[in-house]
Amino acid sequence: MGAFIRRYLALATKEIQQLRRNPGLLIQLMIPPTIVLIIFGFALNPRVRDLRLGVVDQNFTVESRDFIDALTQNVNFNVTRVYSSIGPAENALKSLDLDLFLVIPQDFDRIVKRGQTASIQVVIDAVDANTAQIAQGYLQRAMEDYNTSTGAVPVAESRLRRVLSRSTHPAPPPGAVEVRPAYIYNPGLVTAWHYVTGVMSIIMFINASLVASALAVKEKETGTIEQLLMTPAQTGEMLLAKTTPVFVLMMVVMFVALGTGVLVFDLPVRGAVWMFAVSGACAALAGIGIGVMVATVSKSQQQAQLLTFCVNPPITLLSGATSPIENMPEFFQKLSYMDPLRYLVTIVRGVTLKDAPWSALWPSLVILSAFAVVLFSFSAWRFRKQ
Amino acid sequence: MTKKILAQAMKEWRLFRRDKLLIVLAVLMPLIFMSLAGLTSSLRLRNVKLLVYDYDNTPLSRTYIETYGAAITFRLVSHEINESPESALASGLGRAALIIPQNFERDARRGSEPIVQLMIDATDSNAATALGNMAQGLNASFGRNSGLGWTAQRQLAKLDNRLWYNPGLSNPIYFGTGALGMMLIIFPALLGALATAKEYEMGTIIQAYASSLTAAQWIAGKALVYVLIGVVEFVICFVLGMAAFGYHIPSDPSVLLVATLFYLFAGVFFGMMMGNATGSQSAAIQGVQMGSFLLSLLLSGYLFAIANIPVQIRWFSSVLPATHYIQIVRNSILRDVGWSTSFRPLIALFVLAFSFFAMNVIQMRKMQFKG
Repeated sequence: MGAFIRRYLALATKEIQQLRRNPGLLIQLMIPPTIVLIIFGFALNPRVRDLRLGVVDQNFTVESRDFIDALTQNVNFNVTRVYSSIGPAENALKSLDLDLFLVIPQDFDRIVKRGQTASIQVVIDAVDANTAQIAQGYLQRAMEDYNTSTGAVPVAESRLRRVLSRSTHPAPPPGAVEVRPAYIYNPGLVTAWHYVTGVMSIIMFINASLVASALAVKEKETGTIEQLLMTPAQTGEMLLAKTTPVFVLMMVVMFVALGTGVLVFDLPVRGAVWMFAVSGACAALAGIGIGVMVATVSKSQQQAQLLTFCVNPPITLLSGATSPIENMPEFFQKLSYMDPLRYLVTIVRGVTLKDAPWSALWPSLVILSAFAVVLFSFSAWRFRKQ
Repeated sequence: MTKKILAQAMKEWRLFRRDKLLIVLAVLMPLIFMSLAGLTSSLRLRNVKLLVYDYDNTPLSRTYIETYGAAITFRLVSHEINESPESALASGLGRAALIIPQNFERDARRGSEPIVQLMIDATDSNAATALGNMAQGLNASFGRNSGLGWTAQRQLAKLDNRLWYNPGLSNPIYFGTGALGMMLIIFPALLGALATAKEYEMGTIIQAYASSLTAAQWIAGKALVYVLIGVVEFVICFVLGMAAFGYHIPSDPSVLLVATLFYLFAGVFFGMMMGNATGSQSAAIQGVQMGSFLLSLLLSGYLFAIANIPVQIRWFSSVLPATHYIQIVRNSILRDVGWSTSFRPLIALFVLAFSFFAMNVIQMRKMQFKG
């Protein structure tokens, strides 16, 4: 046992000294969490607003202008221009100056006065399906407001009446069922919390694998691996010593990331911090395992880095860190169970935002540690086989 | 002049060809990454698990629940009888809980307004907002269908939607085109970064400094190979896109082709710049990963509309080649509009490619021996 500890310490010291000589690596490890978290926490916002709306008013009467007024009270639309014919509006949409435009038919006022329903054409640039769908929703709601506030009263009175009723949202008629959403865990709907927790987990995992594979391959490339293999140290000890500094650094990085989240974005930490630390440690081990495994199959640093680059994007995309897993096709949903990052994301969000009960988190923790043990020992086995 | 560039390119190609793994990766990576990126990034909610707490248990309350069950957004899931909605949500059994109060039917028939609560797990605030809106819509349609509380009301106007370019509101179409841009920035940039950094690590960069090649020739020759590999990847990606993401050949493909060349050059030059600046393969990779992959993934309009990015950092997306390229790809493949719309982003791409090139030349010149 004493010999083991002596050898381990000697090897670990060697690794730490090597790491100290490589300040670039330290910077790579420490800077991203802060910068990336801050940029992305502020930048990522999937809310759709300020849609550029064009209006083709072929009617040009009091009624049509009233209508435009009612629709554009909505803060989500900016009326960029009013056109008198369709051609220019179509061109504007094609050259991306507009997101959508409405066409009010020539006989709009007559149809409304006659008591029929006028149809308003809406042309939306639907290349971005998500935005188009949301824009449709906004319009639909503005339309319902227009119909309820104007529809019940004679048209001639409509303007006055609407001015009066505008102060409040039109109340639902008696007897209507009301649904009241309650946003729990994040009642202020802070978008940053979601991304910060996701990006934090991604950094943990991916940095560990990149750095580990770089370190493991370097020894091979410079040829010093032969010397290492000749020493009395066992391969297990060697790998352990080799990964210790990376592991310690990753743990520091993890808490730096959490600190950034708390200080900059007021991220709440409602659950047990030890759980966060343990799951982070498991993820770092799993990441290191993947990194070393990649290193053992590749001949040069170039190959190793490229392979890690191939392995990491799928892990990131499938983890649910940036987009909900429910939205993925069935096959990818099943595949995501194979993704260790998925479990880390669940635990990190569970601990910080939700204060999830132990019963909900332990399965994820068990699976994650299983991943860590399996990946790490498999990589040790591969390392020995060299 | 061209002969020297070609000679340098040939040397680079021979080096690349020797690495079998690289060639396999160059073909496999676009296939895997494109399909993943195109199919998994979707912000549109489907099959969200909804826990139902029906404390009324009457025909009307069941009809109300049915309204939610019929929408493709929600999927009703069961829960333990004694489990409170809070604990069920905290354990992740569902993303939302619908709570129908006692006397729901009686109150509704009497004309007093029963309140149904929808508890939403707002860890993902965007999804939560969308679910809240969805519930409002479903609630309104329940009101209309059941005739509760809705006095017959005249519709003055109705909307008639035309969804241009993507009438099925299909997400793969949108993300599939973005994925092309993502794919083409990663691999060529990586190769460029690695090849340059390797010269520093092996010390062979000295030969380049001492040779009769000018900095510009050396850089152009090196880049040429990786751009050509990028062109091959473009073809592979495009074929995959035609099969899986509804790509079609635009009626005027010239803009797209020119833009692709500029884009590839910009990517490779960026990678080489990273290689030159760091001089180590692993640091160069990190640079590319941060500078082109992560930033492009999140800030180029691939995932979120650029208009949503706060003004303070929005300038950042305009110095990313991916922003302009993805726009041109979408213009050409989906909107089928030609030069007039894509002209501005094309110029931007050219400027970016050229400035990356110039930075490379400046870095190299500093070191080169003057003859």
